[in-house]
Amino acid sequence: MSHLPVFPAEEERYRSLQELDPRGGGSLDVLVAGLHDESWRVRHAAAEGLQRLSSPTDVALRLVDVLGERGETGARNAAAEALVGLGLAALGPLVKLLGHPDPDQRKFAADILGQLGLHAAEAPLVQALEDPDLNVRVAVSEALGRVGSEHGARALERLLNDAEPLLRLSALEGLVLLRRPPPLPVVVSLLDDTRLRRSAFRALGLIPQVAATELLCQGLESSTRSVREAALAALGMQASLVESARRGELEAVIHAALRRLPDAVARLAQALESEDVTVRAGALLAVAALGEASLAVPVAEAAREDRLLRDVLSTLGRLGAEGGRTLLAGMSDLSAPARAAAAEALVDLVDETSVTPLCALLEWAEDDLRGVVVRALGRTRSPEAASPLVDLLRDSATAGAATRALGVLAGSCRGAVLAALEEAVARRATPVAVAALGRVGGAPALPSLRKLARDVDPRWRAAAVEVAGEVDGGVGRELARAALADEAAPVRAAGARAMGRLGGSEAGALLRSALQDEESSVRRAAVDAVGESGATDRVAELEPLVRHPDGALAVAAVRALSRLGRVGARVLREASNHPDAEVVKAVLSAGAVSREGVALAESLLEHPHWDVRAAAARVLGESGGPESLGPTRRALEAESDALARQALADAVARLSRR
Amino acid sequence: MARFDDSRPEMSAEEFRLLRDHVYSHCGILVHEDMKFVMERRLWPRLEALGVSDFSVYHRYLRYDANRHAELEAAVESLTTHETYFFREPSQLKAFREELLPLLEKRNARTKRLRLWSAGCSSGEEAYTLAMLLKDERRFEDWDVEVYGSDISRRVLSMARSAEYGPSALRATSADLLERFFVPAGKAKVRVRDDVRSMVSFGHHNLLDEAGSQLVMKMDAVFCRNVMIYFDQSARRRVLRILRDRLVPGGYLLLGHSENLLNLGADFELVHLRGDLVYRRPELTGGEAR
Repeated sequence: MSHLPVFPAEEERYRSLQELDPRGGGSLDVLVAGLHDESWRVRHAAAEGLQRLSSPTDVALRLVDVLGERGETGARNAAAEALVGLGLAALGPLVKLLGHPDPDQRKFAADILGQLGLHAAEAPLVQALEDPDLNVRVAVSEALGRVGSEHGARALERLLNDAEPLLRLSALEGLVLLRRPPPLPVVVSLLDDTRLRRSAFRALGLIPQVAATELLCQGLESSTRSVREAALAALGMQASLVESARRGELEAVIHAALRRLPDAVARLAQALESEDVTVRAGALLAVAALGEASLAVPVAEAAREDRLLRDVLSTLGRLGAEGGRTLLAGMSDLSAPARAAAAEALVDLVDETSVTPLCALLEWAEDDLRGVVVRALGRTRSPEAASPLVDLLRDSATAGAATRALGVLAGSCRGAVLAALEEAVARRATPVAVAALGRVGGAPALPSLRKLARDVDPRWRAAAVEVAGEVDGGVGRELARAALADEAAPVRAAGARAMGRLGGSEAGALLRSALQDEESSVRRAAVDAVGESGATDRVAELEPLVRHPDGALAVAAVRALSRLGRVGARVLREASNHPDAEVVKAVLSAGAVSREGVALAESLLEHPHWDVRAAAARVLGESGGPESLGPTRRALEAESDALARQALADAVARLSRR
Repeated sequence: MARFDDSRPEMSAEEFRLLRDHVYSHCGILVHEDMKFVMERRLWPRLEALGVSDFSVYHRYLRYDANRHAELEAAVESLTTHETYFFREPSQLKAFREELLPLLEKRNARTKRLRLWSAGCSSGEEAYTLAMLLKDERRFEDWDVEVYGSDISRRVLSMARSAEYGPSALRATSADLLERFFVPAGKAKVRVRDDVRSMVSFGHHNLLDEAGSQLVMKMDAVFCRNVMIYFDQSARRRVLRILRDRLVPGGYLLLGHSENLLNLGADFELVHLRGDLVYRRPELTGGEAR
C-alpha cells in the first residue's frame, strides 16, 4: 500500500489530495491514508477525492473496512462522509454490514443508511429492527424515519408498544419524520409519558382533526416552555394540513384556549423569538387566532425567515387598523424583511389616519418599499393622499404605482384627485400626470389632452396621445393618426399603440409605415397594434417577421398573426425552427387548435427546452386526438423534468378520456 | 371614468421556473422550489414599477427589453433583500476590531497597507462601518487603508456612493457614532462624513465572475456576510474559490453569523477567536507558487 507523502505542512497535504489524479494507480490507497490524517481539512479532501474514483463499489468496500477501525474516530467519520457521498454504490456493503457481529458496526451501518436516504434500504432496515442490541434497533428506527414508506411505518408503529422507552421514542420520531402519524387514540395514550410527550405533540400536528387541536391547546397551557413550544409547532403544522374551509374551526379552538391564559400575549411574544422556525409558525397562527394587535411588530419580524412570509402576511392581515398603526409607528426599527412584510400588510390595514405616517415613511424608505407604501396611500380613502401621490408621479420608480393608486383613490375622493392632477399638469410637473388625468378626468379632460398633443416636448405629446383614446375614440383616433407622422419615435410608438387599441377599418393602412419604421421600438409597437386592431390587410408584412433574429419581434409577429387568425402551416413551420424558445412557445400556443398545430406539438415533445416540451404537452391535451395519446405517453415515460412531466401527465389524462 | 384595479397577478409554476432559471443563469442566485410565494411578492413591486401585467410579460421583458440588464439587476436586488445597517452583528465587529486588526497591523507593519473588501455590500452600510472602525483605531492613522465595496446591482452602488441613509440603516448606531461619523442631509436622512467616504471605494462586481474578480485587488480581509445564503452549493464553491484567490495568504474571510463552510470543501482554515469564528486562507507553503 502506498502512503501519503509526509509533508511538513497541512496545506501541502491538503493540496496534494485535491490535485490527485483519480485515474492514477494507487490513488485509492493514498486517499484512504488521507482519511487517517490528523487534519480535518485533509480528511475532508480525502473523503471528497474518494467520491471521484471510478470504481465506487471497491471504494465502498474499503471504506466499510475503515469503519471497523476502533480508536480512529476521525477516519471513521470521514469514511462515513465518503460513503454517504457514494450513494447507491454504498448500499450493498452497508446492508451487509448490518449483519456484522460487532453491534457498533451495525449501528454505524444503520446511521449511514439513514443519511443515504435510499428507499431500497427500507426492507433490510425493517429486518434489522429484530437486532438483539437496543442501540442498533434505535439507530435502525431513526434511519427508517428517513428512508421508509408504508412498510417501514407499519414496523415503526409496532414498536410503539415496546417495553424500551428509547425505542418507543425513536419509533414515534421516525413516524413523524415519515409524516405517517399513528391513529389518534394511540397518540393520546403516549401523551401521558413525559419522555414521549413532545414527539406525541408533533404527531398530533399531523392529524388534522379538532380533537387533536384540543389536545395541543392543552399543551399551550403547560408551565414548561419546551412543551408549549412543541404544541405551538404542532399547531402550525396542523394548520398547514387542514383545508382552508376548516381553518376557522381550528382557530376558534385556539382562540378559546388562549383566552384562558392570563399571560398568553407574553408567551406568544416569546415564541415568536424562538430559534425553531416551526415554533414561530405556530405562534403566528396563534396570534392570528387571538387577533392581538400589540404583537404586530414581532409578527412582522418573523418575516426574516422567508419561509414564514405567507403566514406573517396572513397574521398581520388579521390585526386590523390597530395593528396597522402599530406597524407604522415602528417601521424605522424593523428589519428590512419585516419592513417589506409590514408594508405589504399595511395596504389592507390603512385608513384615513395613515396618510401622515405613510408620507413620513416615504421620506426614507427603499424603492421597493416605496412602491408598496404608494399603493397603501391609494387605499387610505383620504383626500389628503391625493397631493403626495401626484408628487410621486415625478419619480420613475414610483410613477406606475402612483398612477394606479390615484385611480383607486379617485374611487372615494375623485374631486381631490382631479384637482391635484390638473394642478400638476398646469405646472408641467411630469408627463405621467397626463395619463392619470385622462383616466380619472374622463371627457372633461379632452381639451387639455388635445392641447398637450401639440406640445413642444415629445414626452407630453406621447402621453396625451396614449391616453386620449381611452377617453374618447374619435379624438383618440385623430390624435393617433397625427402621432404616427410625428418626428419623435416615442410619439410614433404611442400613436401605434393607441391605434392598435382603437382599431377601425383604416388601422391597417395607417400602421403600414410604422411597420417599416427605422426605430425597432416603433416597429414592435406597430406589430402588436396590427394584431390588436384586427388589421388583416397587414398579414403579408407580419409573416416574414416570425423568422426575424430579434426574438421579441418574432414573438410579437406570431402573437399578432394568431390574433388575426392567420397562423398557417408555413408560419408554424418557420417559427417553430426559431432558435429562441419563446418564439417556439408562442407559435405552439398560436397554432393550438389546428391540425397542423397538433402535429407540430407532437414533433416538439423532444425539444431541448423543458418549457417548450411542457407547452407542446398542453397543446396536445387541449386539441390532440386519440392518435396523440401514444406519442404523449412515450414522451411522459422519457421525461425527467418535473414541470414538463406534470404537463405531459395532464395531457395523457385528458387524451385518455377522448 | 376608467376603472382601476390594484390587484396583483399570481405567478404560475412555469413562470416561477422560467424566472428562477433566468436569475440563476445571470448570477448563480438560487430561489428554492418552495419559495414561489416569496418570489412572487418580492417581484410584484417590479411589475408595478414597469406597469407590466403579469409574470410572463415580465419574463419577456427580462429577455428582450432594451432595459433588460438594469431590470435583471433590480429583480435580483428585490429577491435578495438582505438586512443591511450600520454596525450590524456587533459581536463580530468587536472580534474583528479587538482580535483581527491587531494581527493585521503586525503582519502589514512593513507595508503599512490594509485592504478590506465588503463583498455584496448592498447600499454600503457595511463598507462604511468598516471604515469607521478603522478610523477609530488610531493605530492605522498613517497607513494606506482602503475599504472596497462591491455589489451586482448598479442601483444599490449608486445609493452607496451617495452615502445618504435613513433611520432604519442607523438603528444600531449610537448617538456618539452618529455625531462623529455623519452629517445631516435633509429630512430624516444623514450622510457619511467625507473623511470616512474617502476611505471607501465601490465597484460593480458579480461574485461568480472569475474574470471580473481579477480587477479586485488582493485583500487582507473579506466580509461576505449573508451573501452565500442566496447561492446553491456549486455557486458557493465558485464564489469561495474567487474569494480565496483575492485574499492574501493568511487573509481572513468573515461570514454572517448563520453561515459556515460546512460541506463546501476545506480551502479555508477555521480560526477560533475569543469572540467569533472566522476563516483564513492558509499561509503559503513551499509547494505553492508565491
